[in-house]
Amino acid sequence: MELPKARGGSDRPLLSVVDDDESVRESLPDLLREFGFAARSFSSAEEFLSSDCLDLTSCLILDIAMPGMSGPELQRELKRRGQAIPIIFITASINMTVRSRLVEQGAVKCLFKPFSDTALLEAVNSALHPK
Amino acid sequence: MTGSDKSRNDFPLEASIPTGTAPLESILCTEELHRRPSGPPNYEKENRALVKLVSTLADSPATVLQMLAETILEITQCDSAGLSPLTGDGKTPDVCGKRFYWPAIAGMWNPHVGGGTPRNFGPCGDVLDQNRTLLFRHFERRYPYLQPVVPAAEECLLVPFYVAGEAVGTIWAIMHSDRRKFDAEDDRVMASLGKFASSAYQALMHIEDLKFQVSEREKVEAEVRELARGLEAKVRRLVEANVVGIVMWNLEGAITGANEALLRMVQYDREDLASGRLLWTDLTPAEWRGRDEGAIADLKATGIFQPYEKEFFRKDGSRIPILIGGALFEDSGNEGVAFVLDLTEQKRQASARLYSEERYRVVVETASDAVVSIDDTGSILFANPATATIFGYDPAELAGKPLTLLMPEYMRELHQTGFKRYLGTSQRHMNWQGTELTALRKNGEEFPVEVSFGEITRDGHKTFTGFLRDISKRKQADQALRRSEAFLAEAQHLSHTGSFSWRVATDEITWSEQLYRIYELESGVPVTLELIRTRVQPEDLTLYEKMVEEARNGGNDFEWQYRLLMPDHSIKYMHALAQATRDQDGQLEYIAAVQDVTARRLAEEARDKARSELTHVARVTSLGTLTASIAHELNQPLSGIVTNASTCMRMLAADPPNVDGARETARRTIRDGNRASEMITRLRALFTKKSATAQSMDLNEATREIIALSLSELQKNRVILRPELADDLPLVTGDRVQLQQVILNLLRNASDAMSTIDDRPRDLLIRTESDDNDRVRLSVTDVGVGLEPQAADRLFEAFYTTKNDGMGIGLSVSRSIIERHYGRLWAMPNDGPGVTFSFSIPCRPEGLADAETPANRTDLSADAA
Repeated sequence: MELPKARGGSDRPLLSVVDDDESVRESLPDLLREFGFAARSFSSAEEFLSSDCLDLTSCLILDIAMPGMSGPELQRELKRRGQAIPIIFITASINMTVRSRLVEQGAVKCLFKPFSDTALLEAVNSALHPK
Repeated sequence: MTGSDKSRNDFPLEASIPTGTAPLESILCTEELHRRPSGPPNYEKENRALVKLVSTLADSPATVLQMLAETILEITQCDSAGLSPLTGDGKTPDVCGKRFYWPAIAGMWNPHVGGGTPRNFGPCGDVLDQNRTLLFRHFERRYPYLQPVVPAAEECLLVPFYVAGEAVGTIWAIMHSDRRKFDAEDDRVMASLGKFASSAYQALMHIEDLKFQVSEREKVEAEVRELARGLEAKVRRLVEANVVGIVMWNLEGAITGANEALLRMVQYDREDLASGRLLWTDLTPAEWRGRDEGAIADLKATGIFQPYEKEFFRKDGSRIPILIGGALFEDSGNEGVAFVLDLTEQKRQASARLYSEERYRVVVETASDAVVSIDDTGSILFANPATATIFGYDPAELAGKPLTLLMPEYMRELHQTGFKRYLGTSQRHMNWQGTELTALRKNGEEFPVEVSFGEITRDGHKTFTGFLRDISKRKQADQALRRSEAFLAEAQHLSHTGSFSWRVATDEITWSEQLYRIYELESGVPVTLELIRTRVQPEDLTLYEKMVEEARNGGNDFEWQYRLLMPDHSIKYMHALAQATRDQDGQLEYIAAVQDVTARRLAEEARDKARSELTHVARVTSLGTLTASIAHELNQPLSGIVTNASTCMRMLAADPPNVDGARETARRTIRDGNRASEMITRLRALFTKKSATAQSMDLNEATREIIALSLSELQKNRVILRPELADDLPLVTGDRVQLQQVILNLLRNASDAMSTIDDRPRDLLIRTESDDNDRVRLSVTDVGVGLEPQAADRLFEAFYTTKNDGMGIGLSVSRSIIERHYGRLWAMPNDGPGVTFSFSIPCRPEGLADAETPANRTDLSADAA
């Protein structure tokens, strides 16, 4: 498997996970590391925004429904700041219209929980290597 | 000295006087007078001239000045002569005058009459300055304005004359040629004539003054005459107008003249008057003669007599009341005039007034109302006998006392403020007719009165008279009527069934016929709280006593459901609605409708069976709409499971395998699996169409489970949920699943109500607490759009909904669930935005068997069958 270059210049690309659900924050970074990426997790959009990872993050894996700032709101905020981080949304609700709208607005992919490891990797790869 | 008519008024003014061309000395030759040879004096001629002058002064003063000028001309044999008085106004000599005026000139300069010279720049002025006779030669050489005056003066002899010792003018003689020259004799004659001029002038002045005085006096006399004519006309008009009787008489008793008005009064005619038969002494009744004599005495002393009232006989012997006043004529001392006013009408009115006053007095004295008059200080002037009956005060003892004595303490200040304001501003603080007020009897008892009063102003002081009617009896009747009316109205409004009223202070209870029938008591039996108590189902007695106590203290409307145990051991379900009212005295009184709802209860049980079907429909519906939320709740742990399992497999597949990592992820997989399983267990209960059962349960725990189920849904809707669950909440007996359904429904409603709220946090408070009376309460408070007032009533009806996507079943089903738990579900608008829905259920409802005993387990749900 070809490993993508890190956006911030380090060896491995950094993937940031933003989800208020603790089990996702526990499990997803481990899987991503197994894939060979660097991974950080944040419990809220605000926490991510105030961290020093914005410039280092190569891809954002973002929950839709969160207390406080929601996923789509974070997407808009990043756009406003001129941060062109590719985003993969993840959500436990099955709502097709939400997915197509998010993709239209520039998301790489929208995955419904639970999703398979291959679906995730595929999404991450297409985020890091846009056609 | 000017030369022509044309230039007469053009003499230079002081300001424009040119500088003289020749010095004064060069034109004077006065000393030569005595050096020249002079002829002998002609005294005879002189005397004749003087006599003529004096007689002219006497006969025709206006011409004396011209005569004087001609006399000078004649005696001195000169060519021109005249006189120049100093004058301010051109008429009278004046020491301060600014010009010399020429009133008279004889000889060649005669055409220059009316001219003159300036005071300070001319020959006359020089004479006055030096105060002596001066002889000038060709004075036009110094005074160029005289150059055009022709013929030129060869020599001019000028002599001052005096008024009251002051030189005020000159007389003069002029030679226009050297035919002769003035000499000492001319000087003497002129001095003599100067003296005459002075006297003549003064005489003239005096005559002028007299003339003025005469004319003034004539003017005044004319005015007086005019005035007199006006007065005369006025008096004549007065006499002729016949408004007032006018009579001319003399002290002997004769009437010498009278106008029509007087004759009309006494009903005599002009012939009677003309015959001289009419004597005022005969017109006067004997008893008034003494008064007449007094008037005559006044007349003699002062010339007038003050008007007084008396009577005259008419021709037919009847009497007429009159007012008479008059005066003696100034010039006679015997005759006079009098005016006479007919007082018949005034007397009639006065008598009517007297009559009406009398009538008034009778009314007041015999009135059953209290009549009280006060002055403008609020002191009682008068009180009628009824005051004693009504207030308990003797009318005499009230005189001089303040009116406030008749009022309760608390009204006094109000009265005084209002009264003072009325006196100051005429602004009434109350209705003056038929106002109901509270009055105070002497014995301290307060009672209602109806007050009407009026105001009279006499001699600038106001007095007020009030009629006070004791209306306590009427009031009582009114109240009784009002009570019975209200009674009926309320009862009809509330139910058409039994009704009662309860005066709390006296425990006076009135029952309607229907209520006696419901309680199966004999109609008319006096109702007491104790009697009612004997019918109350023993289990409800505590409740009954509590209700009575609350009603006594509270004064609020209340609603009460209770049961009666009848003598035949049957049970009646009762529903009472009581409305708190206050009577006129502020006493608390309840008016209530009581409905026997036993039949309804039975019907409700039948209805509940049908409703339980609906309950299931609603349950499925609400769970159906919850699918997304449930899926979310399940997908969350499933996602963890899948991710962890994937990670685990990858760790094991690595070379070398990461066993520790795999173990950890496997552990998490198991944990998330359990979490999902718990969720499914919780949901199963809601999905199952299971009979409702009564069991002892923890409402907090049931609530927490529902919160867990709803959390993601609420989060999605950005609702901030704050649970406040009471720590020491007692267990309740009930159907856990059904109650959870209610809670779920309330949370969903609250969340939906806030879906459009963006200007404030979507706060949602869910609270449990111990309620009074061994009950627990759960309430859900939102900050949403709130309720329309009319919606509050319909909220719990089946199929009523304000939501676009709702079926309108939720709340009606929720209410039936709560009612089946013997509880109550209600909605209240918040102080701020939003609504609070609450239900309250008894911990151990009667009729629900103890859940701890399976044998007694009661089926709460009618759809068990």
